[in-house]
Order: sequence, then structure tokens, then C-alpha cells
Amino acid sequence: MISIENLHLGIERKEILKGIDLHLEPGDIYGLLGPNGAGKSTTIFALLGLRARESGQISVLGHDPKSHAAQIRGAVGVMPEHAGFYEWMTAPAYLRWYGSLYRQAQTEKDLRILLGKVGLGDECRCTIGTYSRGMKQRLAVARALVTHPKLLILDEPTNGLDPKGRREMHDLLLEFAAEGNTGVLLCTHLLDDVDRMCDRIGIMDRGRTRIEGRLGELLTEQGAGQYYRLRVEGAPYTADLPMGLSLRDNQDGWWRVQLQPGNPNGPSFFWEELWRRGWHILEIRSESSSLEDLYLNITASNHPHLQEAA
Amino acid sequence: MKKAKFLLLATIIIIFLATVSSAAVAPLSLELGPDDSNPATPVMGDHMRFWSAITNTGTAPIEGLVAWISLVEIDPGNEQPVDLEDWSAHKAITGAALEPGQSLRTDWPMRLIKGGDYRVVVSATDRGGDSVFTSPTIQFHVRQKPVLQAGRIIPVAAGLPLLIIGLMVLHKTRQQGRRWHESG
Amino acid sequence: MKSSWIIATKESTEILRSQRGLMGLLIYSGLLSAFSLLLVSNTELSLLDNAQVVYMMAGTVLSAGALLASILGSDTYAGEKERGTLVPLLCTPIDSTALLTGKGLGMLIVWCIMFVTATPYLWAVGASGQNLGAALVYLALFGTPVVLGFGLLAMALSARTGSVLASSLSIITLLMLAATPLLIGPGLRGTAIGRAMDAVNPFAGALNTFDSVIIDSEPFSAQMARLLLVAVWLIFCLMVARRNAAHPNFQ
Repeated sequence: MISIENLHLGIERKEILKGIDLHLEPGDIYGLLGPNGAGKSTTIFALLGLRARESGQISVLGHDPKSHAAQIRGAVGVMPEHAGFYEWMTAPAYLRWYGSLYRQAQTEKDLRILLGKVGLGDECRCTIGTYSRGMKQRLAVARALVTHPKLLILDEPTNGLDPKGRREMHDLLLEFAAEGNTGVLLCTHLLDDVDRMCDRIGIMDRGRTRIEGRLGELLTEQGAGQYYRLRVEGAPYTADLPMGLSLRDNQDGWWRVQLQPGNPNGPSFFWEELWRRGWHILEIRSESSSLEDLYLNITASNHPHLQEAA
Repeated sequence: MKKAKFLLLATIIIIFLATVSSAAVAPLSLELGPDDSNPATPVMGDHMRFWSAITNTGTAPIEGLVAWISLVEIDPGNEQPVDLEDWSAHKAITGAALEPGQSLRTDWPMRLIKGGDYRVVVSATDRGGDSVFTSPTIQFHVRQKPVLQAGRIIPVAAGLPLLIIGLMVLHKTRQQGRRWHESG
Repeated sequence: MKSSWIIATKESTEILRSQRGLMGLLIYSGLLSAFSLLLVSNTELSLLDNAQVVYMMAGTVLSAGALLASILGSDTYAGEKERGTLVPLLCTPIDSTALLTGKGLGMLIVWCIMFVTATPYLWAVGASGQNLGAALVYLALFGTPVVLGFGLLAMALSARTGSVLASSLSIITLLMLAATPLLIGPGLRGTAIGRAMDAVNPFAGALNTFDSVIIDSEPFSAQMARLLLVAVWLIFCLMVARRNAAHPNFQ
């Protein structure tokens, strides 16, 4: 769905992207990681044809953004980092207006379902100016989804959300990606988001892709698995666990599990499998994972401020 | 004999003076008149037109003739020249040439902007001369007319802002009503 | 065109439905009301000729229109950028020309609303005089390109600088420069520089036309040079706006 090879891009004679590679296949949730200023947002703008590249190849949904920007934008749902809205509109009116720019008519019912999915209930009938930051963040996701895109590009989608909101957002994106022929590009510096959702990652630093590949494979290369703590309702059945997941211990109602390295599936696959096996998971907490180690190894040496990324 | 000498001297002086004074006769003569179509009792806002005829009465051609119209307000206690900016777009002719005996007729249209008593005059001079020649004046009275009617302006000036304020209140009320409805 | 119209209706609705926009309209209406009331309450001014008053009112409407267009134009791209709504707009399949057209149409609608608001005032001060019809026709004919031109130039600056403050200060300075020969009066206008400024100044061109047709009842044929001037101004501003709006400063 997205293929970027050795992308170079400059803004006002300053080289911002100095060699970006990114490959996203249908069904993937791709985590694009990197510290602030790494060039993540600029990469998104290059994908959408809003920034002209100097060299390299870009293909989005089979089109070159240089010549087919409108087609690409028409098929991609985007949630930019700073989500702004016309604050005098209500959420349904805004989404209807936004959809009309894509020549898509939205029915009241469609909008009600979508707003319900992102966690905006009846209160969304008020003007957007009265919304909290979290509500606006949810509305931004609804805006990205309202045109039924083939590809979703989200820049820091869980910023400003409470833990419950983040969880709901993860579920929503997993559901979107589960349709199979769609893809999600998730730009974030929150490793937890990536840990929970992404199958494939790319880590950028100072305008370059430092590493790219399947999360499991990269962790294998790193030589460790990922650790999680799960809070589960009742006593789960522990004899039948999915392949690639092992149980470490149980303390104060929290089950500590390890995802084996080399597994091609993302963590979401294991949570679904556990749920199917009767594990009613109430909460998932990622422990200091090897992803964090991997990230810090690549980026932290030059960026002492990266504590926030962890 | 003395008397005869005196008469001769007086005759010579008179002839001399007459010669001198005829040499100083104006080379330009100006006439000024109102147009036949002018209203008899003009009111503010009416159009009036005056004509002038400038004739070269000298023996030499006149180059660079400049003629202009002036208007003076002569209301008692308010005597002043009038700035013709708003009264007329045709305030002067410039650069004209007149052969001896040739005449230049010019129309001077104007709109009567303000009520009162006025006197109009056309003046002329030329590039080489050192005098300004003026026409006879024409005096006229412009009746005042109330141009702005408070009865028409006040409803508009008060009504439109009130209408917009009404729109704002309605908009705010509808917004609050919607909020109340949603929260209720 | 459909996308442009969607943008245009949003832009104009924002003015009419937001409290900010209604407040702007109220201030504009208040300005015209104050001017009208001054005309009736002041002894000197109340004796002014109708045509003179209509001319002054038309000039006030044009000045207010150009000023509002400059402020609104400065807000189009830079304001959206500052409020975070520009990037979502750029991410849609609308091309830059359609977006500019939409915003320009939105401004035209706002100018039409200003024009409609001004009509009762012009009627109130000029109904018993001459050339009220001409005043309305020429205000539309000459006022529209001048107002839209300033608006488009403000949009160009807004798209280029990405700052509402920078673009609005620049365009208002330009507007004041355009009005300078008129403000300073005939002294400066009589000089070669003043005459040259008058000849290329669309704002002065429009006002001189109002003077010519409303007060002096001159015919349309006498206005052709000034009509050409305001048309060239509009085309120039359109080209500058299009060039700058193709690559707006959004990041």
C-alpha cells in the first residue's frame, strides 16, 4: 500500500529527510517511530503529495504522489498531529461537510454509528468548541474514518486520551486493520501503542530510517521477547496457551506473559487468542520491553530527552 | 493768444492721453450669461449652466489662454469663495489660442450643492500678459432643500444594527437550547 | 467547482453563524449607522447635496469592504494553520486552485452581504437625490474587483507567511498606502508622483469613478480606463494568490 525507497526531501534548502524507507502491506498496522523532529510528519506530507521530494521513490496505493496526489488523498484517511476543527460546527455537521469534500454523502445513521464507535455519544451534538481535548482527539479519528479509506495514516492518535480511551482507540484501529485489505500507518513516539498494535515498524532518526521490518523479527534480532502483565477477570485456563506466548508468573491478580521473539504476529493476535480461550482480559500493561531497548539503542545515544518516548 | 495756446496744449495732452489709454485697452473681452434652460428659481441639487465668450480684441494673437470660473458666496456674514470641487467637473480651460478678433465660447455646467446667494464670474489671462480680465458677474439665489430626511435615515440606522443583534441573540438562544436539549 | 462551492458555503456560513462573524457585521452596520446619523444631526453635513452624501457613503462601504476583505483574507490560510484546520483541509482531494476558488467565493459572498447591508443606507441618504441607481451599479462594478483584489492579495500573503499577524499588517499597510493620496488631498494628488499613484491605484480609481458618476453624472464611457485599471488589479491579485496558494505554508 505504501512503498518508499530512499526518500530525500528538503524544505527551504534544509535537508529534512535524508533516506527514508517504508513498506506497508495490506492488513498491516505499521508503527513509524522516532523522536520529535525525526521527520515523521514530513514523511506523511510527502506521501500525500503536500511536500515534493528531491529524490527517491514513493508509491501510495499504486500511485505516485507527485502526479496523482488527488487520487491518493481521496483514498487515504489522515489524522494529523494537531487536530483542528471548525469549532462553531457540531460533530455530525462537520463530518458531513468533510465527507462532502470527498464527494461522499453521509447519512445520519452512518454518522451516529461512526461517532459511537469512536466513543462520542449524544454530547457530540454540541458545537465542537465545547469539546474536551480527548473528545476532539476521538473526533479526529472519526474524521479520518468517515470517508471509508483504504489506508489510514494517524499521527499521534492517542495523545490526550485517558487509558480507557487509548484502549478503545487501539481496539478501533485493530478492527479497521482486521478488514484485511486496509492498512494503518501509525506515527507515534509512544512505544506502548506500537507494542500493542503494530505488526511492522520503522524507526526514524534525524531524517533517516534506521531500521525497518516485522516487529517480531526485529525483536528476534535483538534477542529477546516482549513482556506484558495482564489483569484478568476470574481464574483463566492456563493449560492451553497460544503458540509463541509463555506464562511467567502470577502476582496480585496480574499474569506476566512473554511473547516469544520471531513470531510474525503482533501482540493483538495473542490477546484475541487468549480471549478466545476464555481469558477475560481487563487490562494490559507492557513491561519495559525489548522494543524499548531496541528504540533506545537506535535513537537515544544522540537524544538525551528521549525519556518521554519510553 | 494765451488762450489759444492753452487750448492747443490741452488738445495735445488730451490726444496724447487718449493714445496712451487706447494702447492700454484690454486685448481680451469677456462676456458671461446664463443658459436659457436654467431654472428660474433654482433649488439645491439643480443643474445650471453659464456660457462665456472670450474675444481677442487686440491686434496680436493670444497664446496660452487660461480661463476659469469662480463662485463667491455672498450671504450676509458668510461671504466667502466657494471650492468648486463638488459643484463642477469643468472648472477651467487651459492652453487655448485666440487669433485677433477670434472668440471662444465655453459652457460652464454646475450642480447647485448648497443653498444661498452666489455670484459667478469668469476670469481669463494669457501666458504673455500681466493682467487678469474678468467678465461681468451674475448673481443668483439657490433655495435650500432638506436633502437628508431624518424620517428615512433613523429607521434604517437604528433598525439594521437591531436586526443583527436580534440575529445574534436568536443564534445564541438556539445554541443554548440545543445544549440544554442534549443535556436534558 | 463543486468542491469550491462546498468551501465557499462553509466560509460564508462561518461568518454569518459564528458570533465573531455576526459581531463583525454588527460593527460594519454600526459604522454606517453612525455615519448616517452624523449626516442628519450635523447642521453643516445635513445641508450637503444628496449625490455628495451618496458618494461619501459609497466610499465608506468600499473602504470597509477592502479592510474586511484584507482581514478575512489574512485569516484564510494562516488562521486555519494556527487553528490546526489547514492540514486536514489539505489532506482532502481538493486541489489548491479549487481551495483558493472556494475561499475567494466565500469572500465574494461576504462582500455581497456587505453590499446588501449597505443598500438601505444608500437609499436612506440618497433616495431624494440623483444617481442612487448609478451609485449602486458602480459600487458593484468597481467595488467588487477592488475588494476581491485586496482579499486575494491578503490570501496570498496569508498562504506564504503562515502568520495572520504578518499578513494582515502587510495588507493593511498596502491598503493605507492605496488610500494615502485620497487622505492627503489634492496637494499630493496634483504632483507627478500623486498623479502616477492615482493612475495605478485601483482604490483611487474606484473612488474617482464614484465621484465622476455620482456627483458629476459622467457617462460609463468616461470610466473605461478606470474599469480597465480595476480589472487588471483583480487579475494581478488572482495570479499572485494562485501562485502562493499552490504551496501554502502549513507546517
